[in-house]
Amino acid sequence: MKKVLVVDDSLSVGRQLEKIINDSGDFTCVGHAKNGAEAIKMNHTENPDIICMDMNMPGMDGLTALRSLTVLDKEVQVVMVTSLGGAGDKFTEALRLGAKNVISKPFEADTVLQTLRKL
Amino acid sequence: MAVKFFGQFLVEKGIVSREAILSAIDLQELKNLKFGETAVSMGYITQADINRAHKAQFSKDMKLGDILLEEGILSEKQLQEIITRQKETHLYIGEALVLVGSLTSEMLQQHLKEFKLDQAPYLSDRIELPAGVANGNLWEMTADLTYKMITRVLGLQFRTEPCRMVTTLESNFMMAAMDLSGDAEARYILSVSAGAQKMVAKAILHEESVEHESAEILEDTVMEFINVVCGNVVAKASQMGKVVNINPPATIRPPAAGLPVPQGHIALCFPIHVGEDEKMELLLLMRQ
Repeated sequence: MKKVLVVDDSLSVGRQLEKIINDSGDFTCVGHAKNGAEAIKMNHTENPDIICMDMNMPGMDGLTALRSLTVLDKEVQVVMVTSLGGAGDKFTEALRLGAKNVISKPFEADTVLQTLRKL
Repeated sequence: MAVKFFGQFLVEKGIVSREAILSAIDLQELKNLKFGETAVSMGYITQADINRAHKAQFSKDMKLGDILLEEGILSEKQLQEIITRQKETHLYIGEALVLVGSLTSEMLQQHLKEFKLDQAPYLSDRIELPAGVANGNLWEMTADLTYKMITRVLGLQFRTEPCRMVTTLESNFMMAAMDLSGDAEARYILSVSAGAQKMVAKAILHEESVEHESAEILEDTVMEFINVVCGNVVAKASQMGKVVNINPPATIRPPAAGLPVPQGHIALCFPIHVGEDEKMELLLLMRQ
């Protein structure tokens, strides 16, 4: 079962994603980081296969964390989950920095799982 | 279920790959000339004119074309010709995907139709603002998108009152706020009554009941809702050619007497009635 780390400053989004991931049967959520810096630490301690990460977070934001993660860990696959994806420049930047896909908020469980299963 | 641009729609649906969209974007960047480059290619200005105008932009918050117009380097007619040329020769992402071999022309037409259907709920209706508000079209779009998200994301029936200018932000059970900056600046605030907060929470958490939820989670759901709305405002603004940035949301606990609008600012209030007697207000606080 693939391990997924959720990164979002919102408690409610973290909870939703955790539920979707754990109910899927294919993935297990190994933690919920609240910002980019926590994500980098938890990537080291939890060693997830996939990271689902918000862009707009206090402290270290998602794109800054993505930049570090793709250098620090060549294996981990990052999917951005964000309300900012519709802004073309943010979407492009995320993909160029190495994100595998960008899921728009608000999301539906099916979209999240389809995206994770395609990785 | 969000404002998207066509490329994102295609990648999210798995119609084209991440690599294909990046190749298409690279091709767009190569082919789509910037304003200055177009003007040079048409022989209206030189690179030296662009360099001078760029220097002037350090002290003036103006577009390149407007500076060149102000300095008499371009005429109004030439400015319009350059803009028209840019529009006529613009390579759109769908066309770029065809050129890099990721879509056929037939597939492009089909997916464009699907995309238009997907985005139809976000096309703007007219909302009237009081006269004299700067960036009025942007704030009209913001209010309109807020209403649409209340329907689409929260699934709530509601009725609105016309927008009015206020001098005090009336107290309510809680307020969630986000700062918008860039080409236009404002603080976006959504104030909610206790019952309205629970309605938001039920929708965001996908729960039938939120009675057992902590105050922290309930507040968080309102913040997440405005985060989604403002993220979509950024996307829609970008389609309108405006750069808007957002900071993470925060909560405000207003005193019973409300919050006076600071000097030098104006506040637009959009009252929203949900259910029997629950109330939300969209408030946009901005410098005068």
